Order: sequence, then C-alpha cells, then structure tokens
Amino acid sequence: MTEVSIEKLTKDYGQGPAVNAISIKIAEGEFISLLGPSGCGKTTTLKMIAGFEDATEGAIRFDGSDVVRVPVEKRDIGMVFQNYALFPHMTVEKNLAFGLEMRKVSRAQIREKIAKVLDMVQLAGYAERYPRQLSGGQQQRVALARALVIEPKILLLDEPLANLDAKLREEMRVFIRDLQRRVGITTVYVTHDQAEAMTMSDRVVVMFGGRIAQIGTPSDIYERPASLEVAEFVGQVNIIRGKVNGGIVATAFGDVPVSGNLAEGTELMLALRPEAVELLPAGSGAGVFAKVLSSYYSGSLVDYRLELENGARVNVQAFPRTRFADGERVLVHAPAERFWPLGATA
Amino acid sequence: MSKPFLTLYCLIIYAFLLAPIAVVVIASFNSGAFLTFPPQGFSFRWYVVFFNNEVFMRAIRTSLWIAAVTMVISGIIGTMAAMFHVQYAGRLKEAVRVAMLAPLLLPEVLTAIALLFFVYSVGIGTQTMFGMIVGHVLITLPFVFINVSASMESYDPSWSMAAQSLGAGRFTRFRRIMLPLIKPGVIGGCLFAFIISFDIFTISFMLKGVGMSTLPIQLFDYLRTNFTPEAAAVSTCSIVLTMAVVIISEKVLGLRIHRF
Repeated sequence: MTEVSIEKLTKDYGQGPAVNAISIKIAEGEFISLLGPSGCGKTTTLKMIAGFEDATEGAIRFDGSDVVRVPVEKRDIGMVFQNYALFPHMTVEKNLAFGLEMRKVSRAQIREKIAKVLDMVQLAGYAERYPRQLSGGQQQRVALARALVIEPKILLLDEPLANLDAKLREEMRVFIRDLQRRVGITTVYVTHDQAEAMTMSDRVVVMFGGRIAQIGTPSDIYERPASLEVAEFVGQVNIIRGKVNGGIVATAFGDVPVSGNLAEGTELMLALRPEAVELLPAGSGAGVFAKVLSSYYSGSLVDYRLELENGARVNVQAFPRTRFADGERVLVHAPAERFWPLGATA
Repeated sequence: MSKPFLTLYCLIIYAFLLAPIAVVVIASFNSGAFLTFPPQGFSFRWYVVFFNNEVFMRAIRTSLWIAAVTMVISGIIGTMAAMFHVQYAGRLKEAVRVAMLAPLLLPEVLTAIALLFFVYSVGIGTQTMFGMIVGHVLITLPFVFINVSASMESYDPSWSMAAQSLGAGRFTRFRRIMLPLIKPGVIGGCLFAFIISFDIFTISFMLKGVGMSTLPIQLFDYLRTNFTPEAAAVSTCSIVLTMAVVIISEKVLGLRIHRF
C-alpha cells in the first residue's frame, strides 16, 4: 500500500494556472475523490499524478519519493479511463495479460493472476471475449481488472461511470467501492457527480478554478461546507441571511446561536439543507407557518417549494408519508443546530 | 433512379473501364505477327517470345525491385507522417496534409525535371538508382499518407495512454497496440505504393541511368519500333502481377481495403 502526498502542485498552460498550488495527503488505502465542475482542474490533477501531464511546479510523492520526473510507464499506476480504453484487437485475457507481460511475469503466473482477477470482477468465463462482445458494465469491469491485475501502487479512475446508464452507475459505485476496500489500494477518483463522490469516498476534495475549496469526509462536505460554492455544489441548499446580534442570528425559523468571535452586526449566510426542515400539518405543534407553492414527487421523497410568512422561499425535502397539497398552510420547523454558518457576506 | 436502370448504368461504366484491358489480354493470345483485334487464332507464342526476351525480363526485375524498395521507404515515411498529422500536428494539421499531398497536385513531369536538376547539381547523378527511388517515393507517399491517416482517425489515443499506464514504452506501444490497429491502412497504403511505383513512367524515364530500364520504359521503347502481340503479352503479365500482389496480400494479411 502506498501513501501519496501532493505538495503545492501547479499546472500552468500559459494562461494562468489550471491547477493552483494544491496540496493533498492521501493515506494508505484511502479512497479520495476529486470533485468539481468541468474545468476545475480535477482531471489535470489526475493526469499529473498519472504522469500524462508534467507538473509546472510542486511534488507528487509515492511513499515519500518524488515521482514528478518518472515517466508514466515507470510510475506503477493502474488507471481506468472514462471510455475504458480496452484494446479492441485483444481478447479480455490478452488485455489483462498486457501489463503483466510488461512486468516480465511468467506465463504460469499470468494465467493464475488473470483467473483470480476475473473472479474478483465476476467475469470468470469471459476471458476469450473481445471488448466489442461485452456490455458497457462488463467493459468497465475489465478495465478495472486490467488496472488492478498489475498490483499498482495507486489506482486512478477518470470519471469511469460517466458512460453508463443510471441504474448500472449506482451498482458500479458499490462494486468499485467494495473492490477497492477488499484490495486495499490507495485510490484517486475523479468525478463531477457529487452523489458518486459522497457514496464512494473516504474523503472528498472539492475543487473550483484550480484550487481546493474543501477537503473532508462526505459528511463534512455536506453538513459543514466551507463556502457557499461548496454548499451549492454538493446538493440543494437554502441560504438564510441574517445579522449577528448578541451571539445569535435571528431568522424566520427562530434564533440561531452562532459560535466564534463574530463581530456584532456582521451579515451572515446560514446554510440549511432541504431535508433538515421538518414539515408538519398546521396546528399540530411548534413551528412557523408557510404556504406550499408547489411540490415534486419522486417516489421516495417529495420536494416542496414553500413561502414563509415574511415572503422568503425555502425548499424542503420530506418523506411522502404525509402529503401536502399545493396552496396548503403547513408548519415548518428547523432545529438551530441544522443551520451552518457559511461566513460573512461580502 | 430505378434499380434496373442503375444496374445497367454501372455495367456500362464497368465495360467502359475494363474493355481496353480485356482487349489487351485477348490480343496477347494472338497467333499472328501483328497486334490486331480481333486476334487471328489462339496461341501462347508471344508469351514464349516474351519470357525468352532477356531485355524485358531484366526490365521486369528492375521494376519489381524498385517497387519493393519504394514501398518500404514510402510505407515507413508515410506512416510516420500520418501519425504526426493525426496525433501531434495540432493547428498545423491542414498545412501538413496539403504539404503531404503536394506531389499529387504537381504534374509528374515537373517533379521529374526538378529532381533531375537536383541530383545533378548535388553530384549524385543518375548512375545509381537513388534519384529514381526518391522520385518514386515522392509520387507514392501521398497514397500511403492518405490510407494510414484514414485508419489513424479511428485510432483512440487513450489506447496508447492505457498501454503506457500498464508499463509499455514508446516502441512497445507502437508495435503491440497502434500498428495492429492501423494495419489495414498501412498495408493498403503500401500496396498502392507498390502498384503505382510499378507503373510510373515519366519519373523513371527522366531519372534512369544509361542502359537502365523499367518495364513501362522498355515497353514504350519496344512499341516505337515493333508492333507485335508481344507488347500485349507484356501488358497482360504486368496486370496479372499487380492483381496477384493485391489478392495474395488480402489472403495472407487479412486485409480489408475500404477504398478501391
């Protein structure tokens, strides 16, 4: 297992840095996702770790030794590409054998390792097939197997699920995560899909404009976002503005105590996730009144657009056990601890 | 256009294209002393004369040898140029293409004269086959380039990247991944180079050394003074030879030729 340390890594194509002095420490066996919109530098970062892009500045260390000057083919990485990049003129077996042949592994051992890895990705019996004879999900698993069979120091995945349909994508998330845990390989995963990053990763690195906006566990990122941008990127969020007054911010939902040494009168933005708000029938308890503007039913959940009495709009997500009609008056309740301060407004 | 009409139209076009070849082949079996059509009687007489004609035999050997050398050189340079064109040329892509196809646009005779001046002014001269082979390579290069470029366009660069991530160096990536996948284009291009080189007249005529002769030149020379069916026999043999090259390559190398 390998520990990866990225230090002040920068890539500049000549029009300002695409990746700007980012530093990440990845523990042995950790699953890290680089998450961000397209053009945020996540793929460039992955390519620099792989060696397909030269770093303009900074270091990439595998177990302490800098690999920035090491060419891709000597870096001992396993990479899964977005389009899988399986060799179309080779059978599954030949595809898997390729990396082992490069490492001068004996024929007998190659056979043994291929049988083992095919078993691991549940493709035993597919060795003689050509890539074009496999479904997208199967090709994906061959690509994973090809990257893992060489037992690389680090596994790199570049949006590997982007070309799969929604149902298969969810299955593959779990499949990849389980496989990674079993193998115990240090993994860097690039995606623009926040749900993918959250469900699979030990830690998520959120990137915007070539910089790291936040590094943290999925729950850190979701519940304690470092900025408005992060809060909005990793899911729906209601932004409630208010002034600090005696250590509290007065909101339409009640007073929210804020910690820290915020100056009196500071304008604050508070993040409130839609599912943190409770919805109750009018007259059934404590809360503030709101009117249902519209609702969107999606099976397991219902999304409501509400208007509070002061005219503010909030989005609320609730289980469909109790349904509220459009135009109905309801009670909303949001516990103070579910508000997360995003910092002073500019 | 209705289908029967279209079929008829195609048949007429084919007849128009192939009739002269058929005439030559039929005329070669003439038993008379002159190249006439329809032939007078059937015999292999003129083939016997041809195979015993040391001058023609030497010319055929020279042509085959030049075509083979040209094919190898054109194949290598053209493939490398196509790789550069598709993968690395970037903004220069169109410029590279035009430059590579330039020999097709220039009249062959201009290229020949230019080369003739060149080989004499640098002191190479025409005692060796050097100038002639350079000329043949120039003319055949665009065909290799076009064919290989076409198959390079469907080559996904991430295949090379995947091979590299698995530990393959530059040469291994080319040999094990790229070459097998662009093979139809490379072989198709090389065949074109061979066949076209075998057929080149102007360049060979200008750049040949004294006493040297290729098949087209020898044939031309022969027809200036003779008018026997031997010429038809020579032509028939060269048609069979080129067709044999194509068919054997197709069978042996499993070639799919898309554009013929």
